[in-house]
Amino acid sequence: MDASDASQLFEDTSGARHGSQAGYKPQTGDHGFPGFSDPMSNLAMAYGSSLATQGKELMDKNLDRFIPISKLKYYFAVDTVYVGKKLGLLVFPYMHENWEVNYQQDIPVAPRFDVNAPDLYIPTMGFITYILVAGLALGTQNKFSPELLGVQASSAFVWLVMEVLAVLLSLYLVTVNTDLTTIDLLAFAGYKYVGMIVGVVLGLLFGRLVYYLSLLWCCAAIFVFMIRTLRLKLLSESAAEGRLVRGTRNQLRMYLTMAIAAAQPVFMYWLTFHLVR
Amino acid sequence: MGGSIPAAQRRSICQSPPVFDRSSYSVDDPNQQGYDYSNNDPYNKQYNYSQPIAYSTPGMMQQQAYTGQIFQPTQTYTPSASQSMYNSTFDDEPPLLEELGINFDHIWQKTLTVLHPLKAADGSIMNETDLAGPMVFCLAFGATLLLSGKIQFGYVYGISAIGCLAMYCLLNLMSMTGVSFGCVASVLGYCLLPMIVLSSFGVLFSLQGLMGVIITASIIGWCSLSASKIFISALAMDGQQLLVAYPCALLYGVFALISVF
Repeated sequence: MDASDASQLFEDTSGARHGSQAGYKPQTGDHGFPGFSDPMSNLAMAYGSSLATQGKELMDKNLDRFIPISKLKYYFAVDTVYVGKKLGLLVFPYMHENWEVNYQQDIPVAPRFDVNAPDLYIPTMGFITYILVAGLALGTQNKFSPELLGVQASSAFVWLVMEVLAVLLSLYLVTVNTDLTTIDLLAFAGYKYVGMIVGVVLGLLFGRLVYYLSLLWCCAAIFVFMIRTLRLKLLSESAAEGRLVRGTRNQLRMYLTMAIAAAQPVFMYWLTFHLVR
Repeated sequence: MGGSIPAAQRRSICQSPPVFDRSSYSVDDPNQQGYDYSNNDPYNKQYNYSQPIAYSTPGMMQQQAYTGQIFQPTQTYTPSASQSMYNSTFDDEPPLLEELGINFDHIWQKTLTVLHPLKAADGSIMNETDLAGPMVFCLAFGATLLLSGKIQFGYVYGISAIGCLAMYCLLNLMSMTGVSFGCVASVLGYCLLPMIVLSSFGVLFSLQGLMGVIITASIIGWCSLSASKIFISALAMDGQQLLVAYPCALLYGVFALISVF
């Protein structure tokens, strides 16, 4: 009796009012109605999906203001061959000769067509794999819990952001005229995760000694990779070609390049040594 | 009218519509508003709002038309009310499954596509997003986990939600044409089927030996290959199958972790 009275109460008092306001949008869209039968839940689902569509449109409009989606798409225009070659370069950069990025009428060519162009697929996948491998490594030490995954993820992310900010700041202070964008710097900072993952996985499989050796190898590789890539972007043309150019500006830029490259092995060790015990 | 009418009297007011003054429930009167919805706020707003909206999914303009009908207690919420709204006979309505969008033939086709990872897929099967199949598979996965004593429905749903979101972002960035979230969720849900096989293995034997690692790795590979194959054919991405398969493998790897440990 009470239930039917209650439903009648809801019917009569609210239906008209809510129906007459076409623009009324209650804030809570999804909720279970345990007591009501199926047509009601279908209606609730239809309402929920319409609310979701509205929310999605709103988000799409605002997202473009903060994150430039079309620029990001350039960094994800990769294919399997490129990723394979790039991973090989990250682990063994000694044989590669031409490090210049190709341009096509002032626009850098998509990473698909030029192995020297930076991309964001490898750093993103590297970051996520690093978190999962860290979880695995902590699991083998019997220290795993889902919260710890979140802690690892957020601390690695914060270190990444700080590194990019530090590089941006130093680039600003040294007043380098370069076409390196923030996303490029993010990509370069993210390449070290590949070496970290290789080190940790080999360390988990074969022991601490193998971890140290592989990490050493990957650190050296990423150091050379960064120097050779950044040299072309930061230094003036003649210095980049290897000729000795005197002058404090070039020296400063050289030091900056070496500092950025040297920071990579430091981070690589810092973020992985606690994973392999 | 203020907030002083006792509950019993309030009920009787609502049961007699001619006495009931509709204008007194307008937005402009905050007291009235507060009074009416103070006790049954969660139910009222949501319950009643969903009814007119749902009836009017064909068109929002029908909202106005229905308010009068909902208003009368004789035509209040009953299951047959929907039929009276359509003003048609019972036979004219489309069959229930078609109305709900559940097409068993397509579900079976998609399941077969998942089960044959090496056979090329038809890109058009993903045109209609169907979440009924994936829901069933998620529930079945949770149920097989339950059989081995792990009550982890929450983790399954949470990880699938996060994974679907991540794949949605990645695929939108990587493909020329965009992809909708429902399509991503649908594909990832269908490709969960081999994972159900893995967890049912886990019920019978432990998966932590060498044999278990091999089986787990092959099932993760199976799931991610089918998922990437369907994505590639539906989104016309060339030369990127392994690139799409890798994040899928990460996602299914997490599911495998749940079923193994």
